Amino acid sequence: MLMISPRMASGMQEKQYTPSLLSFFIYNPKFGPREGEEEKKILFYHPIEIEKNEKIRNVGLCEAIVQFTRTFCPTKPAKSLHTQKNRQFFHEPEENYWMVMVVRNPMVEKPNKDGKPPTVEYQEEEIIDSVYGSVLQQCYCMYKLFNGTFSRAFEAGGVELLTQKLEKFFYRYLQTLHLQSCDLLDVFGGISFFPLDKMTYLKIQSFVNRVEESLSLVKYTAFLYNDQLIWSGLEQDDMRTLYKYLTTSLFPRHTEPELAGKDSPLRPEVAGNLLHYGRFLTGPANLKDPDAKFRFPRIFVNTEDSYEELHLIVYKAMSAAVCFMVNAAVDLNREFCEQLDSLVGPQLTLLASDICEQFNINRRISGPEKEPQFKFIYFNQMNLAEKSTIHMRKTSSVSLTSVHPDLMKILGDINCDFARVDEDEEIIVKAMTDYWVVGKKSDQRELYVILNQKNANLIEVNEEVKRLCATQFNNIFFLD
Amino acid sequence: MHSSDNRGSWEFHPEDTLTEDTGNFPSTLAQVNFSGQKKAGSAVDVPGLAYRNEDIMSESWRKHRKHVFVLSEAGKPIYSRYGNEEALSSAMGVMMALVSFVQAGGNMIQSIFSDEHTVVFLQKGPLVFVSVSATRQSEQQLRSELLHVYHQIVSMLTQASINRIFERRKNFDLRRLLFGSEKVLDGLLDVMDSDPSFFLSAVQCLPLPSSSRDALSHILQKAITPDLVFSFLISNNRLVSVVQEKTVLEDARLKPSDLHLLFNLIRVSAFQAGEIWTPICLPLFNPDCYFYAYVAYLDPPECTVCLVLLSTDKEAFYAVAECKRKIEEAFASQNALQWVANTQLYYVNDIGVANLKHFLYKPSKVLDHYRQMPQFTCPEMEVGYRSQQERIRLLDLYRNMYNRIHCSSRPLKLIYHSAGKETLLAWVTSKFEMFACFTPLVTKKSAISELTKLLRWLKKEEDRLFICQLPRYSTALHPGRSSTDRPNTSDTGLFSLL
Repeated sequence: MLMISPRMASGMQEKQYTPSLLSFFIYNPKFGPREGEEEKKILFYHPIEIEKNEKIRNVGLCEAIVQFTRTFCPTKPAKSLHTQKNRQFFHEPEENYWMVMVVRNPMVEKPNKDGKPPTVEYQEEEIIDSVYGSVLQQCYCMYKLFNGTFSRAFEAGGVELLTQKLEKFFYRYLQTLHLQSCDLLDVFGGISFFPLDKMTYLKIQSFVNRVEESLSLVKYTAFLYNDQLIWSGLEQDDMRTLYKYLTTSLFPRHTEPELAGKDSPLRPEVAGNLLHYGRFLTGPANLKDPDAKFRFPRIFVNTEDSYEELHLIVYKAMSAAVCFMVNAAVDLNREFCEQLDSLVGPQLTLLASDICEQFNINRRISGPEKEPQFKFIYFNQMNLAEKSTIHMRKTSSVSLTSVHPDLMKILGDINCDFARVDEDEEIIVKAMTDYWVVGKKSDQRELYVILNQKNANLIEVNEEVKRLCATQFNNIFFLD
Repeated sequence: MHSSDNRGSWEFHPEDTLTEDTGNFPSTLAQVNFSGQKKAGSAVDVPGLAYRNEDIMSESWRKHRKHVFVLSEAGKPIYSRYGNEEALSSAMGVMMALVSFVQAGGNMIQSIFSDEHTVVFLQKGPLVFVSVSATRQSEQQLRSELLHVYHQIVSMLTQASINRIFERRKNFDLRRLLFGSEKVLDGLLDVMDSDPSFFLSAVQCLPLPSSSRDALSHILQKAITPDLVFSFLISNNRLVSVVQEKTVLEDARLKPSDLHLLFNLIRVSAFQAGEIWTPICLPLFNPDCYFYAYVAYLDPPECTVCLVLLSTDKEAFYAVAECKRKIEEAFASQNALQWVANTQLYYVNDIGVANLKHFLYKPSKVLDHYRQMPQFTCPEMEVGYRSQQERIRLLDLYRNMYNRIHCSSRPLKLIYHSAGKETLLAWVTSKFEMFACFTPLVTKKSAISELTKLLRWLKKEEDRLFICQLPRYSTALHPGRSSTDRPNTSDTGLFSLL
């Protein structure tokens, strides 16, 4: 992606290029072990226009690098290759299946006089390995959620089925990668939880129990409000990927019809239903139409042990969304959907307005949000809870932050330093712009605070962070 | 005591024993099992042992903290820190293939990262350097270490001759010219890990009252001969005094990196009595020609004070030896050796800061007298850091902070890092760079106040801790040469050996 730099001297502009995807491929060396068979190793390659021999050479380079690093540590081979112009990330999600993502380094093009070609300066330090390495891992997790593992696909239908599935999924998914805005939150892959009082939480729990009892086909349930999670019966790792899908792909596609104007085309979806505001986000778009065909997306969970394939039913009423997961072997027909609709619709509508009311009451009591003055990111490894007052909007296309990207990279550096040892640590940093960044790691929690206090000294910064921790984090973090 | 079975196939020199505080064998050696192989997982290698014939297939070879490989563009092995480089020729072939493959795409390979290792590549002319390191140092630092290795090779051969040799014959086996110098490179790699002067790019001086130092410099200034360019006094790897010829240095400066190479050469030569006369190239000063170094200890048999005289004249041995005699005489008459012997290296306790355990202080280049030669000072290691392993661990922590604070794309002004074993501080101002290590439970208030106390002490002792001026002399050969004249190579006697 090209951005024009605000620095413009005498009409000549410096052009700033952000990191972008150069190529993405998946291969398995076991599929083409002999000479002459190299092409068979390649299961997916983007961009598809690349000439066959070049693909083979690029895959060969990756194999050579992995082999070389295995000389020194057989169990922990290469994760990334740094070159002047690009960076390659390696990930082996299943034995012998390798995924490689090649990212072009950000660069600055400086114009030259007299018609000489512009000089290009590559900015290698702008890319943090842990961030993009995590993005690559997420690619696999998302694929696996909707397609199951590589090995199962191979077992079921050989290389043909596997390459088909990879092509179908990655062709679309790669277009949603926005590498220029990846940051620390990609490393966490966390879930934003909705803050609730005990009573409302219990109401939601009992709702879930009632539904699961009435609809015995439902195996797992997840309850979200306002793009934030409240309750989930799924395994953590599966939930975090499902959460990402819901909040960056499914939910943004369906805006609230009741917010739409009277003449809006969205209105007909709710036409005729005065009992409740519930509707299906996956499956039947309109229950009233008997001829309309529908199907639910399939997801694969617990791939390490029980390996379950499930229908994903997402049902929404106002700001509350519930996911019901049913064994894929069951055929979900119109009757089932109508039953679900009439059972869940009214209850969920009521519940949604209850939550809304309670939330507003709580806000009034606790006063206007104190947080905005503190820019921070919090992550708890144990429950994947994540909170950021820095990121203003997270959709599939962009993640807006209210701080300079360099500060986000400093957070990334601190996170890397924390990852070196398993101890509680604190790192405080003063940047060249006189911003202070404080990173705290305690137990399995991490907190990053950015303070814009140019004339503060270390002690004052310490006091500020103490205040934040006392109000927000109930003294989870040790302080001096 | 451990029985001799534990020694296995390792050659043991008593002075290499690293006794920890308890007086027992260091823990890394205690892990040696009866067959003599090191247990997997030890991150520190005992310096001074010969690894030339280590089995490259063994677990212990893989587990070394840092491998360094040097090869030619043609893929021919030149040097390997561990193991026989001939046995590694196919591995080196792979390394060269990786470099060439990426190059063929109009690109340049820089590094490979895995969970446990960092592989860094550097190409300088016809030579390729590869470092495989388990230390988690930054890529920039590993590359600058490889650059030091390159410079050490240049110091022995000169850059011009290396380039010329490979231009004529791409397949040349450089080992023929470097035969016997593996120990120089081994020594350099050993010392780089445990000596902060490398990553700080600065020189450490022997603390000496400025009056004594001036007197020593004066003695050196008086004992000169035509074509003599530098005179150094070195004691225990610290610079005591340096004087330099005026005109040669009008445009060029002696860089710390060159001094480190010189110190390394002297350290590795390990001679006691007598003198050495050897060609040496100072790569950052002039990579294409040789100086001739006269090296002798002024105090045999203790051999702590070393005199180095650099001349541009190959034939000047006797003239330079005469200078040494004059210096010796002057030393004897003034009893100058005592000044050096009486010098007090200091400990952190001498400063009276309870929580401070260690620090590195480097005054900035802005101050005129330091601009001439970047210097730093640090106290002797406290009890907790006396073992080689702890010393290297502390320096690794300093190195990581140095890398973060000097990051080219997002440099910082200050880092304060509280961790389990110590609290570290890194601070860069326009006047100095400071890296300090405190006890882990120090409060921020105490740390700041102790730091302030330390800075005050450093200011007070400045004269003693640093060389504040670099005296010059003029050799009779070039009287009255103005600074605008550019001497050509034949005039100044700088010429290439080959």
